[in-house]
Amino acid sequence: MQRDSIQNVFRVAVLLCLICSVMVSVTAVGLRDTQQQKKEQFRQANILKAAGLWQPEASAEDLFSKHITPVVIDFETDRVTDRFEPGAKELDARTAARTASLSRKVDGSDETGFDVASINVRETYTTVYEVRDNGQLKTLILPIRGYGLWSTLWGFIAIDFTDATSDATSLKVKGLTFYQHAETPGLGGEVDNELWKGKWPGKQIYDSNWEVRLEVAKSADSEYEVDAISGATLTSNGVSNMIQYWLGKNGFGPFIRSLVPQQLASSQIPGAG
Amino acid sequence: MADPTAQDVLLEPLVKNNPITLQILGLCSSLAVTTNMQTAIVMAISVTLVTACSSAAIAAIRNIIPSSIRIIVQMTVIATMVIVVDQVLQAYAFALSQKLSVFVGLIITNCIVMGRAEAFAMKTGPWLSFLDGIGNGLGYSIVLILVGFVRELTGAGKLFGITILNPVTEGGWYTTNGLMLISPSAFFLIGLLVWLVRTWKPEQMESE
Repeated sequence: MQRDSIQNVFRVAVLLCLICSVMVSVTAVGLRDTQQQKKEQFRQANILKAAGLWQPEASAEDLFSKHITPVVIDFETDRVTDRFEPGAKELDARTAARTASLSRKVDGSDETGFDVASINVRETYTTVYEVRDNGQLKTLILPIRGYGLWSTLWGFIAIDFTDATSDATSLKVKGLTFYQHAETPGLGGEVDNELWKGKWPGKQIYDSNWEVRLEVAKSADSEYEVDAISGATLTSNGVSNMIQYWLGKNGFGPFIRSLVPQQLASSQIPGAG
Repeated sequence: MADPTAQDVLLEPLVKNNPITLQILGLCSSLAVTTNMQTAIVMAISVTLVTACSSAAIAAIRNIIPSSIRIIVQMTVIATMVIVVDQVLQAYAFALSQKLSVFVGLIITNCIVMGRAEAFAMKTGPWLSFLDGIGNGLGYSIVLILVGFVRELTGAGKLFGITILNPVTEGGWYTTNGLMLISPSAFFLIGLLVWLVRTWKPEQMESE
């Protein structure tokens, strides 16, 4: 039969693949801009949620521009830098990871520390978000990421600076959100669960020596521990690891430290105001 | 069925030949996405569209598909439709597509889509196959919406996210039934539905 000949099998297969791939590409390319815009809005909404400023009925873009100031920091100096404008494409973590001048391999060296969060490379410049009231820093929102079970989780952690003193234990978590991950729905995917995220605000981050103590733990019972997600040990460990890394001395730790009011009059923190 | 009419293929899958209650197909997704009405309806619309369009496309090329690769051809057509639906949802219903997560992609493996392609569209013209896809999609939708309605109302006291029965946790009187929010409850509800339909239409019972 003509229809079952080898030539026809190949002809149908090749034609079908061509037509289908064209359809898929046209949709993907045609909708890319709208998808990007939605993703950006979702990211902004997550920054607002972490900072406790989210209102479901207001537009994320308006709230964001009203309350939040993006600031670019340099991990080499741990200070604010004006080398890039916030929103510059060099600040995108994925772009930076591919560019040698914008990132550094996390290899256990003094500059980057050990790769506890399995991020492989750390960007040198990144954007953090500040909420200020009359010039006074109220909340600092930091991007964090790290490997869970199946995927890298991308999120934000907000730190409450309202009652910040030079004592490291005065810093509290304001909120935590994840905007991108591919953990198992119903298990690790519960990092999106509002009830679980609700356990974070008010937790302490550092002990008095600026060591990160905040972690996800089984049957949490201290001011540093948050209950693990049941059935999701590896995702829970991943969250602990990324907090350990990003809030630690190779992540945002020194920058955070430069923002708390100093006990002794100090003038060596330019740009930290 | 010799020469099915448009009316038959569109209406029969609603109750008489329902893909979920009679053929027991597509159960996986009906357990997963029915915790609330919004996801149930979006999933119902997506599956209906994918079944209808892929059946029509497969019916249109049914005479040139070599039988040795027909399943692969069907899968390719279905997968293409599903990716298109997924992309459109990501662009225009981002929050919903986050909630539906992997389940949109899993429409590819929904037995209803594949089943109609193989059982109906390979033997019938595009227009009837399209209607057959719509009919089966609607049959799936009815069950999904019924289950979603009961689960959201009893599990969270809400419909479409709007509070109907004021739950105790928010200072009301209704004690929400947490069981209804986890997957096994959908099994119970679909089981009850199958029982009801077969009591009403005893000819659907399988012979011992």
